[in-house]
Amino acid sequence: MLETVAQAVINGLLIGGIYALVSIGVTLIFGVVKIVNFAQGEFVMIGMYISFFLFTQFGIDPIVSLLVLMPVLFFVGVLVQHLLIRRVLGLNDLPQIFLTFALSLLILNLALMLLTANYRTVHTWYSDEAFHIGGLYIPVAKLIAFILAMVLSGILWVFLHTTDLGKAMRAASQNRDVAQLMGINPNRVFAVALGIALALAGAAGSLLMPFYPAYPLVGQVFVLMAFVAVVLGTLGNVIGALIASLLMGVAESLGIQFIGADSGLIVVFLLLLTTLAVRPSGLAGGWRR
Amino acid sequence: MEMKRRTSSKRESRRTFLKSTGGALVAGAFGAVPLRGWAADPVNIGALYPTTGSMAQIGVGCVAAAKLAVEMVNDAGGIKSLGGAKLNLIISDVQSDTTVTRTETDRLITSNKLSAIHGCFASALTLIASEVAERAKVPIITGSSSDQLNKGRTYTFTPFARASQFAQAQLQMSKLVGEKPKVAVIFENTAFGTSTSNGLKEQAPGEGVEIVMFEPYSAGFTDASPLINKVKASGANALFSVSYLNDLILIVRTIKQVGLNVAINGGSGGFVIPDFYKNVGKLAEGLQGVAHWNHDMSDDAQKVNAEYKKRTGEFLFEYAGGLVAQTFMLADALERAASTDPQKVRDALATLDVSKGYAAMAPGGKVKFGPDGKNVYGHPVGVQWQNGDLASVFPKEDARSPLIKT
Repeated sequence: MLETVAQAVINGLLIGGIYALVSIGVTLIFGVVKIVNFAQGEFVMIGMYISFFLFTQFGIDPIVSLLVLMPVLFFVGVLVQHLLIRRVLGLNDLPQIFLTFALSLLILNLALMLLTANYRTVHTWYSDEAFHIGGLYIPVAKLIAFILAMVLSGILWVFLHTTDLGKAMRAASQNRDVAQLMGINPNRVFAVALGIALALAGAAGSLLMPFYPAYPLVGQVFVLMAFVAVVLGTLGNVIGALIASLLMGVAESLGIQFIGADSGLIVVFLLLLTTLAVRPSGLAGGWRR
Repeated sequence: MEMKRRTSSKRESRRTFLKSTGGALVAGAFGAVPLRGWAADPVNIGALYPTTGSMAQIGVGCVAAAKLAVEMVNDAGGIKSLGGAKLNLIISDVQSDTTVTRTETDRLITSNKLSAIHGCFASALTLIASEVAERAKVPIITGSSSDQLNKGRTYTFTPFARASQFAQAQLQMSKLVGEKPKVAVIFENTAFGTSTSNGLKEQAPGEGVEIVMFEPYSAGFTDASPLINKVKASGANALFSVSYLNDLILIVRTIKQVGLNVAINGGSGGFVIPDFYKNVGKLAEGLQGVAHWNHDMSDDAQKVNAEYKKRTGEFLFEYAGGLVAQTFMLADALERAASTDPQKVRDALATLDVSKGYAAMAPGGKVKFGPDGKNVYGHPVGVQWQNGDLASVFPKEDARSPLIKT
């Protein structure tokens, strides 16, 4: 019994790390730029396909391809901000919602057309291996993904708290007008926020690739969990999103284990609703970063 | 929609294949016949397959097989009772969509003088095409497995195993693996998964198979580990997974990671096509499934498979292989009807009784339709992935390789 619970918690934490990378991106964009990026999942999908093609064409391990993929997606993020999102900022919310939603549909359907609905998988040497400790097992690929997800989140936290640009981003997220008065260029800050968020989404995709099949709709699977984590962890709060993601992974896993295999989402949304009923602004409601 | 991953040489070979097939048709229509001083009118056969949309990958393979089959019939002299008339395949894309299937079937029938139709791979699409064909009184022959196709229909013919027979075959296969099979059934919780798994549950006691776990799950999960954790706890030694391909890939990989020793039966559909092996790789070895047709089950099937493989680079999968047999059944019926009239072709199909040749290329090697349009000898074939190929292992009369116990 204890072993089953321990295994369920391990499974939950490992997948929670992936949720975290996606949700941190969403919450960062929301916190700094004040828009909801519905296309975040599609950038996870793009990350997976880039990783897939780097592996199949050049034999580059998905972990190594992070080094190529993250800068590329950072640049894409800057472009998205500069060419698209910048144009609709300051208008009311609707154009912003439609913009990212349209972007999501566009990328999704382009992928269906160009890449087809087929599943693509990558087999690395560690893809199907696991560490066995006692009666427990820890899949190697997921452990690597979890550790790197935590490292990337840590680097982001340090960046936000120690660098001028990071502090400027936090300032802009707290009060855009005052930040501007203090000489912070919002467009530059927004572009960096988008870049980082998309780079994280791409990283999530690449880390998923050794153990999860890529297909055009794959982003939708993860983005739903990411949005829940963002709300659960208080909108705009990076650490909140991280903790909420891990919590959700564990709740989902325990739910499947002890309630029923089709109850994963029920447990997660129950967790969300009860949290919101008790703390309407999310788990990290009182303290902001 | 073509697979982008294909190497250019494969694409080339398909292109040359299409060219040569088309060439053969043209030669038949304009070349050889006029020499005899009169032209036998070609026999129009409608082919409804999804060559775009979500089912396109299988649909494209079906069309390749349909063309190959027509070429084989025509090369062998066409329909002799009609003066050597050639089969003329009229292909229509039903776009993986039920609404399009209805309008396309209608359009195909009204704008061409058809003698018969075959299609559409997915049961949901075939049911609609069959309705339209019934109303227009044009016979339709199909490999789709839905039992509904045999209810209250007179122009619909199903030469292969029915959905209800698949469950029984799966249960019987589990007894080959161990004396006392303890089966865990996991299934995605919508119509496809629940109907299939209920069939398993109902027939298990009769087959003497114990089901120790019966668990629905929501398709498209992010992680199969919790589910496999449960299977492990149930003490099952066999696992039936009624799943879509993406979930099945995760399930198979997770079982390997856990190190769980369990015989997996993945059922039919996405499990018995070449793409499954491409995705799962060596982990697919030893996995079992069920199919209504398999490329190694008879000498004739192997012959057709060799030709298909030469042209497309992949083995002739379940649905496409059955389709070749269906084309020969139609040719047999046309031969006996000595007419292109759809009503006469329908009557000839109803009295079809073959036990040799390409038309009898079904598990068991015999085809004869009952009043419900069902092949009275129809049964599925149990298959297992062995060395990257899908081998027929069950029942004995169709088996070409022994079942490997994993």
